[in-house]
Amino acid sequence: MNALLDILASVRTQARESVGVLRDTVHYTLRSPWDFAAIRQQLFLVGNRSLVFVLLTLGFLGAITSLQAGFQARRIIGDTSLIGQQLLPLLVRQLGPTLAGLMVATRVGTGIAAEIGSMVVTEQVDALRMCNAPPVDYLVKPRFLACLVMLPVLVIFGISSAFLAAMAVAASVFQTPPAVFATLDFVSLIDLAEGMTKALAYGASIPIIAGAAGLAARGGSEGVGEATTRAVVSASLAVIVLDFVIGGAAFLVRT
Amino acid sequence: MKALTSAAATLLDRIGAWFLRLAEVVGELSLFTGQVARALLRPRLDRFETWRALYRVGVRSLPIVAVTAFFAGAITVLQVGTYVVKLRAYEVVGWGFGFSVFREIGPLLIGLMFSGRVGANATAELGTMVVTEQVDALRALAIDPIDYLVMPRILSQVLMMGLLFGLGSLFALIGGIGTAWALVKVDPWVFWNSFVEYVNVADFLNGLIKATSFGLLIGVVSCAFGLSVRGGAPGVGRAVNACVVASAVGIFVFDYFLTYLLG
Repeated sequence: MNALLDILASVRTQARESVGVLRDTVHYTLRSPWDFAAIRQQLFLVGNRSLVFVLLTLGFLGAITSLQAGFQARRIIGDTSLIGQQLLPLLVRQLGPTLAGLMVATRVGTGIAAEIGSMVVTEQVDALRMCNAPPVDYLVKPRFLACLVMLPVLVIFGISSAFLAAMAVAASVFQTPPAVFATLDFVSLIDLAEGMTKALAYGASIPIIAGAAGLAARGGSEGVGEATTRAVVSASLAVIVLDFVIGGAAFLVRT
Repeated sequence: MKALTSAAATLLDRIGAWFLRLAEVVGELSLFTGQVARALLRPRLDRFETWRALYRVGVRSLPIVAVTAFFAGAITVLQVGTYVVKLRAYEVVGWGFGFSVFREIGPLLIGLMFSGRVGANATAELGTMVVTEQVDALRALAIDPIDYLVMPRILSQVLMMGLLFGLGSLFALIGGIGTAWALVKVDPWVFWNSFVEYVNVADFLNGLIKATSFGLLIGVVSCAFGLSVRGGAPGVGRAVNACVVASAVGIFVFDYFLTYLLG
């Protein structure tokens, strides 16, 4: 019971910190000039540097889903030619955005928290404050804008990688020719809108949560480690909860 | 022409550097796995340290695993529900749910969460001990860090990952039935009957094998990255980052081969 109360209390502090950082970020995004050099650097760090990671993991995800769907289809209806047309909408609306979001939360979220956390611990953030450069404006805003732009891009790359890997598995394990596998006809506009909304929502929440965790770091290297752990857990959880909320709304729109 | 060849040379250079780094990580992990396997032959577990690790890994990550599993079940039902509503096949929703959650979504999402919560924590903790020279102090006292620090952590992560998957399945079922009832408008009894009828122990065991393998992977990777930390507080942050990235790639690769082998 006590443990539960502790957890609730820590969830509340983290939520309050994240909402505070979100408010400040939106404020500075609208009100203060954009540092395009910093944004460009963050775009490179968020986008280019996670591209290989996202392609690799989502490729394996596509191969796994294709295997599972193929085994089931072969056992129950004895026909594996339909998995391509059923798989692509699923990848576009749910698996692609969510798994790419989790990967970015892992790769970029920990990076942001570790970087900002080390700056807090080594008093560089205090130095920024003394120079009248608010840390949220100077550190969180470029990362926020970069993630907002790069997440949809990474999601599209990830979906393509997953679909190509699924096609390769279907061709080699289930002998489904790629021409039969690859049909875009079953992806509806709602699927696409759902997937992209998810990508944007994850792109907005991951840097905010990770930045808040980094700014809250206290103590030496122990504090940095703790902030990094908290960032990846909270950001991943936010991705899963947002997936449910947006997915539920899209389900109600669809039916 | 000259610009083209130099661009190709840079690209080759980058690919080469990438593979060298990959080989370095894989080699380090293999050596570390060898050390752990050797320590396993003559088990000298510190009872207090093991008990503490079991508590920290199991009890303290239960809430996050429960919440993840609950939402994993809910999300799966939403996706299965889309097909179910289209085909008007309400009696298979329990099957679609059980199959996807037990075999795939459950182990995968719980594994990724576990890696973020427990794996990252172990790396941060061991990394901090390395940076503050506590590991060197252990060596000076003739205590093997593998026996004293690594074995309890790996053991508890494997064991707890299996147990948490079992408990998580329960929460996933609650999330699934709730979402099916509230959003897809499937009666809980219809859901339960199709779940009991079509989902069997093999599906659950399949997921259990995956979950414990992920636990072993996360344990080895997190301890290896933690003990190889260099350079103060930023080094700890970087190691945690590298640990969760390597664990995520490892989980997907393991998942693919396990799916292929288990069928």
